Amino acid sequence: MTDRPTPPPIPEALKKARDDFPILKREVNGKPLIYLDNAASTQKPQSVIDAITQYYAYENSNIHRGVHLLSTEATAAYENARTKLAAYLNANDESEIVFTRGATESINLVAHSFLAPLVSAGDEILISHMEHHANIVPWQLLCERTGAVLKVAPIFDNGDLDTDAYLSLMGPRTKLAAIVHVSNAIGTVNPIERIIEAAKDRGIHTLIDSAQSIQHMKLDVQALDCDFLVFSAHKMFMPTGIGGLYGKRAKLDSMRPYQGGGDMIAHVSFDGTTYKEPPYRFEAGTPHIAGGIGISAGIDYIESIGRDLIHDYETQLIDYAANRLKSTAGVRLIGEPSHRSGAISFVMDSAHAHDIGTILDTEGIAVRSGHHCCEPLMKRFGISATARASIALYNNHEDIDALVESLGRVHQLFG
Amino acid sequence: MNPELKALYRDTLLKHSREPKNKSVLKDVDAYFELKNPLCGDLITLYLKVSQKMVSKATFEAQCCSICMASASMLTEQITQSDIEEGVDFADSLIESLLQPGISIATLENEDIQSLAGVKSFPSRIRCATLPWEAFKGAVSRLR
Ligand SMILES: Cc1ncc(COP(=O)(O)O)c(C=O)c1O
Repeated sequence: MTDRPTPPPIPEALKKARDDFPILKREVNGKPLIYLDNAASTQKPQSVIDAITQYYAYENSNIHRGVHLLSTEATAAYENARTKLAAYLNANDESEIVFTRGATESINLVAHSFLAPLVSAGDEILISHMEHHANIVPWQLLCERTGAVLKVAPIFDNGDLDTDAYLSLMGPRTKLAAIVHVSNAIGTVNPIERIIEAAKDRGIHTLIDSAQSIQHMKLDVQALDCDFLVFSAHKMFMPTGIGGLYGKRAKLDSMRPYQGGGDMIAHVSFDGTTYKEPPYRFEAGTPHIAGGIGISAGIDYIESIGRDLIHDYETQLIDYAANRLKSTAGVRLIGEPSHRSGAISFVMDSAHAHDIGTILDTEGIAVRSGHHCCEPLMKRFGISATARASIALYNNHEDIDALVESLGRVHQLFG
Repeated sequence: MNPELKALYRDTLLKHSREPKNKSVLKDVDAYFELKNPLCGDLITLYLKVSQKMVSKATFEAQCCSICMASASMLTEQITQSDIEEGVDFADSLIESLLQPGISIATLENEDIQSLAGVKSFPSRIRCATLPWEAFKGAVSRLR
C-alpha cells in the first residue's frame, strides 16, 4: 500500500513498558497476545500485582478499627491511595475522593444521595446520545421514582456531540448535566470545559464520566470546576472492584448517606444515628483495601512514565490506527470524531462484528465486539454492534499492523 | 487458517449467511417472536404461518452475525411443511446437542444443519446458533 501512514515512534520511557505487564507475554490460541480491548479493562503491571500480594501476604488487616500495628498500617496504606488520587486529579482536598466499586456505583451514588432529594416531577436531567448505560440507567431509575425527565442531546453523524444542542437543552428546570468525557464506544472526546462553564452559568450541577479519559490524559478537577467526576480503577492498570467519585466538598457535605452500616457512622443509638463527615459517610462497611493499595501502586506506575507523554504517544497511535483502518478494504469506521482518544469502532460490509471478533481471537488479537453498553448510540448509527480496538500505553504500531493484516483475512473469507 | 476456524465457517454455513433463505417480514402471521441476545445485541424476529398443525410458511428478520443468520436460514427450511411439534422436538435436540459437549449433532438428519457443529469449539458463539431455534420455540408457545 502506498499511502500507509508513518508509524509513531515509541518514546524511550515506553519502550520497555510491555515488559512491565506479565500477561502480555502469554499466548492466545498459539499466538502471542495482542491486547486491544483496553477500554473494557486494562492489564495490570507487575508492581500493582506485587503490591496486592504483599498486602495479603504481610500486611492484611481491617482498617479504621483496631489499634494494633497491622490495622494502623493498613489504614495508612489505604488512606494513602486517597491522597494520591486527590493529587492525581488535583482535587482541593483528599476528602473529596470517595471510594466506590467503580464508575457505575459512583453515578448511582450521586443519583441516590445528591440528586434524588433535589428533583421533583418535571425537573430535568441532561445527558448525551453517546452515554454508556451506566450514565443512562441510574437517571432513568431516578426519573421513574420522581417524575423527573431525562433529556438527551443529539450527536452528529461523525460521532461528535452536537454541543450547541446540548447547551440549548440546559433549561430552567435542568438539575444536572451529565456527560461522558471520552466515548468508550467510538472514542469521541467531548468539550467538557465548555459544557461545565455553561452549566455553571445557569446554576446546573455537573457530572463527568471520566472512565475512558482518566488513564489517557491529565485531568484537573479544580480547573474543570465540575461538581462530580467518576472513574473505575480497573481501566487504569489497577484492580477490579474499586473506583471512585470525586465530589466538591460542599456538595458532599450536603448529601445524605448512600448505604448504611459500619464505618460511615459517627454515633449509633436507637434514638437516632449521626453520620461521619465525607468521604466516610459514603463508605459503609469494610472496603476493598487491597484495591486501594493497588491504586497507590498504579498511580506510581502511571506517574513514573508521565501522563503528558502517554497522552502524546497514544494520540499519535490512535490516529495511525484510524488512518490504517480507514484504508483497509471492506472496513468502515463508525464515528470519525474531530478529537479522538483511545478507541476506534468499525464494521465490515461482509462480516458481522461477532465474526470479526472470533477470527481475530484465533490470531491472538483481543478486540471487543458488541454494543459496548451503548445501545442508543448503536441505534443512532443504525447498527446493532461494532468491533472495537482500544489502546493503552503498552500498545504499538505493530499491534495495529497485525490487526489490519488479520482484517484482510476476514475480508477474504467473507468478502 | 486455524482448523477450528475452518470448521466453524464451513462453506455451507457461509452460503446460508450470504444468501439467507426466507429472510423477509411476513404479514398476517399466526405467531411471531422477537428474541435478543443481550450479550451482543443480536436480534431476530421469527414469523410463522400455520395450517392444521403444520408450518405453512416461516420467515425471519435479523440483525446478527453470520452464524445466527445461517442458523435462521436453515431453520426456516427445516420447519416449513413440517409438523409443529416435530419442529419443536428438532429444535430441542439441536439446542441440546450444541450445548452438551458429549452429544453429536450428526444424529440430526439435515446435512446443512450439521455444519453448525463448528460452534462447539467456540463457547462464546453457541448462543448465536441457538438463538433462532429459541425464537421458534417462543413463537410456537404463543400459538398454544
Ligand atoms: C464511559 C464509561 N462509563 C462507565 C463505565 C462503567 O464502568 P464500570 O463497569 O467499571 O463501573 C464504563 C465501562 O465500560 C465506561 O466505558
